[in-house]
Amino acid sequence: MSAAARTVEHVTCLGCGCACDDITVVVQRGRVTEAQQACALGTAWFGDGQVPDAVRIRGRADTLERALAEAAQLLADAKGPLVYLAGDISCEVQRDAVAIADRLKGAIDSLAGTAAAGVLAAQRRGRAGATLGELRQRADLVVFWGVDPGARYPRYNTRYAVEPVGLAVPAGRQGRRVIAVDVGDARGPADADGRVAIPPDAELDALGAMRAMVQGRAVPPDGPFGTAIALVQEMTKARYVAVVADAEPGPSPSDPDRAEALIALSQALNGPTRCALSTLRGGGNRSGADAVLTWQTGFPFAVDFGRGYPTYRPHAGAAERLAAGEVDAALVIGAPATLPDSVAGRLAGVATIAIGPRASAAGWKPVVAVDTGVAGIHEGGTAFRMDDVPLPLRPAFDGADVRSAAATVRALRERLEGAA
Amino acid sequence: MTTPSRLRIAGGTVYDPANGVDGAVRDVCIEGERIVAELPAGVPRLDVRGMVVMPGGVDIHAHVAGSSVNHARRLLPEEHAADPAPAPQLADGPPARSGTGGTVPSTFATGYRYAGLGYTTAMEAAVAPLAARHAHAELDDTPIIDSGFYVLLGNDDYLLRQIAAGETARARDYAGWLLGVTRAYAIKIVNPGGVAVWKGGDGNGSRNVNGLDDAVGSSAVTPRKILETLAGAANALALPHPVHIHCNNLGQPGNFATTLESMRALAGQRAHFTHLQFHSYAGERGKGWRSAAKDVIEYVNGHAELSVDVGQVMFGSATTVTADGPVEHLLYTSSGRKWVNVDIELETGCGIVPYAYRERAAVAALQWAVGLELFLLAKDPWRVVLSTDHPNGGTFLSYPELIRLLMDRAYRDERLKAVNQKLLAGSTLLDGLAREYTLGEIAIVTRAGPARLLGLSRKGHLGPGADADVTVYAPDTDRAKMFAAPRYVIKGGTIVVEEGQLRRASAGARLAVRPDYDVAVTKDVKRFFDDYASVAFENYGAQ
Repeated sequence: MSAAARTVEHVTCLGCGCACDDITVVVQRGRVTEAQQACALGTAWFGDGQVPDAVRIRGRADTLERALAEAAQLLADAKGPLVYLAGDISCEVQRDAVAIADRLKGAIDSLAGTAAAGVLAAQRRGRAGATLGELRQRADLVVFWGVDPGARYPRYNTRYAVEPVGLAVPAGRQGRRVIAVDVGDARGPADADGRVAIPPDAELDALGAMRAMVQGRAVPPDGPFGTAIALVQEMTKARYVAVVADAEPGPSPSDPDRAEALIALSQALNGPTRCALSTLRGGGNRSGADAVLTWQTGFPFAVDFGRGYPTYRPHAGAAERLAAGEVDAALVIGAPATLPDSVAGRLAGVATIAIGPRASAAGWKPVVAVDTGVAGIHEGGTAFRMDDVPLPLRPAFDGADVRSAAATVRALRERLEGAA
Repeated sequence: MTTPSRLRIAGGTVYDPANGVDGAVRDVCIEGERIVAELPAGVPRLDVRGMVVMPGGVDIHAHVAGSSVNHARRLLPEEHAADPAPAPQLADGPPARSGTGGTVPSTFATGYRYAGLGYTTAMEAAVAPLAARHAHAELDDTPIIDSGFYVLLGNDDYLLRQIAAGETARARDYAGWLLGVTRAYAIKIVNPGGVAVWKGGDGNGSRNVNGLDDAVGSSAVTPRKILETLAGAANALALPHPVHIHCNNLGQPGNFATTLESMRALAGQRAHFTHLQFHSYAGERGKGWRSAAKDVIEYVNGHAELSVDVGQVMFGSATTVTADGPVEHLLYTSSGRKWVNVDIELETGCGIVPYAYRERAAVAALQWAVGLELFLLAKDPWRVVLSTDHPNGGTFLSYPELIRLLMDRAYRDERLKAVNQKLLAGSTLLDGLAREYTLGEIAIVTRAGPARLLGLSRKGHLGPGADADVTVYAPDTDRAKMFAAPRYVIKGGTIVVEEGQLRRASAGARLAVRPDYDVAVTKDVKRFFDDYASVAFENYGAQ
């Protein structure tokens, strides 16, 4: 281990879906000592770069060779195998993971299950969207719908939609009007230029009324949705509207039809003006899992290869299958810490294999646990930003000291494919 | 049969138009991955007596991989559920992959289905530079076929700025840099200037450009200037394929005038005009449509520097997917179907609407007829390539049916009677176009021609040194049946289809260019990135 500092620039952070790629990471004596430009979330995500290096079978240290053999056996013998794509793995690892599910005729799911309402709504209707940089170039009106990105997407406003200068917004923040829509406890940014409050139980109706207004239908301005109507009138007069909503679960449960109503409104606004809906997604390259599953199977999450080909089971994803007792072996690839409770809480009763960062620390006691590095810190590859923009990962460590998730998952795949 | 490193494909009737072979009985010899002139007696033989032998098919324009295609896949779960694609049972090598089909198949199904059709090369026609890395990853997961992509230029803000400033040389160097950094094969222009205006680029509230001399932001920037700049760049960079152009006003009645004007704007320069069918309509919005196929193809016939692919419309399901955002918004509002729009920062757009062309629909029938007219009135098959703009006009799986329409007049006339006649007045198809494509001409429009237009010197022919990409068909008077299920397909010397079954799945190669340019341009591009882009200059591209 060299004592000399190693500095890597233009590092992509997977701490949230913003995937900021302007981080400079400094490594000294084998530890990350700085992650310049990173927000608090990013700084925590990089941490000191230390990851455990265990290989365990039933809790006892063992060799990688035997761990992979045990894992392959468990999976090959399973009647209802499940592969789960957790966070902090590259697209390259996700591609091999889907191949494993295909080979096993098993089910595969990912963190996208937590944002299923939005995915399904977009499959019913389509969507009006833009990459984050286009919001920066164009948006003169930014409407935060029940979300303040500050906590979970800390640099969203400074890097993308609000503060930076854009081609059509040369004054940056001064050239944009920011509106916070507060839906009950789900509040927009505190420093917005204007606020609209909508009770949660009126949200869908308000969105419907706004859309009707955009489509030229008469909506009384002094009716129950007066403030929403005033807002949509302002939206139709803007040059380019960004509507920002959170696709991940929020502080209060949202109506499953809300995602569709937001899509419908943003699509309709492209009649009188231009509008893009920006749906915020969490980190760890979860958007990459959607993309990889879609290109390899035709479906973005909750895929079942049980019939020898992919079928889509959006209402029978990992959590539902585990709850129904349909899973007898689960392969979790990625960081166990990123799993939603609905999945993690149900893994204890199942034979599990965990391959990923801090796999050996998983609370649900995997039968086989193989610790690996973290994509973007210890190993390279590709990750997707929340808007599906692909970015390269630049590991700050040179990789020699930390087991690679890519090589480990590839080795498991080859074992399973070798077994006819 | 395992795949031998030497193979004599013996006794077939060979169509190899690039080498002047038009239905001669002869052997084709393969050694390793290439065609050779001769092999010693006693090497393994594949007896194909009585069968038709052609080079592997080359698709010059299809949407098969990348971010727009994947948005389309995500939008179509119902199609994928209806068309499962179990993994083929291979004879050797790693296990094959399952997938799903529909109009936008999963990547593995795309590769297998192309190979099953006798196609061994396909070019993805529109990739935003920002998503180049994604397109390469998908092509890596698309087995068997060799592939590459065209990178989208012509609505990108950096280029438009150079045009506004009269910096033609810098624009050329930028194009050279971009092709290399994205590992692309050619320059694609979609609705020059129109997508930038749709995104709000001109600041005047316009939704699109209408003509070649409309201003795009600056009055110094027009569709004409964009075409001239990029056609000039492609030719100056000595790219193997010239600039690949999707004209302004796609799908609009009366658009043939814009198409002809675009062709005239590039007079004397090499250029490829894609899915010409969608750009060959007379008439006026609100006052009806007519075919202008004759006017357009006659101009093409008279200008040897131009090439086109047809973009035939085939009846049935399709998915329209294009960088032409404003066109898709129109289609969304007129069809009421689901719609995806993605504005892509500083570069381009993306629009998607699932669609169906019905025989009973007047406009679809006109589009179908216009495509066939273009084929049948074309004088030089080397410059008029078979395409459906997959999956826009129909999927690549409809190519055999299209071949039958071209080769079988009786069948074509019968189909013509069944379609809506309302807008067909003035179509030369009604005058009874008697032409029937020969097998030699089919070999040109599906392999020899596109390979030559792409500058792929080892593709599209069976001469010594060519890639050993060979397709063998069992003759059938039903040409659709014949071309839908080749008996053998050999890709790079590997027999991938045997007795009509997919038996092997080798990896395909990537086709990319790396032109020379003045690297000084990267300093200026980096400055622009630092000022406006949301990704680091150093993280851009796909290297």
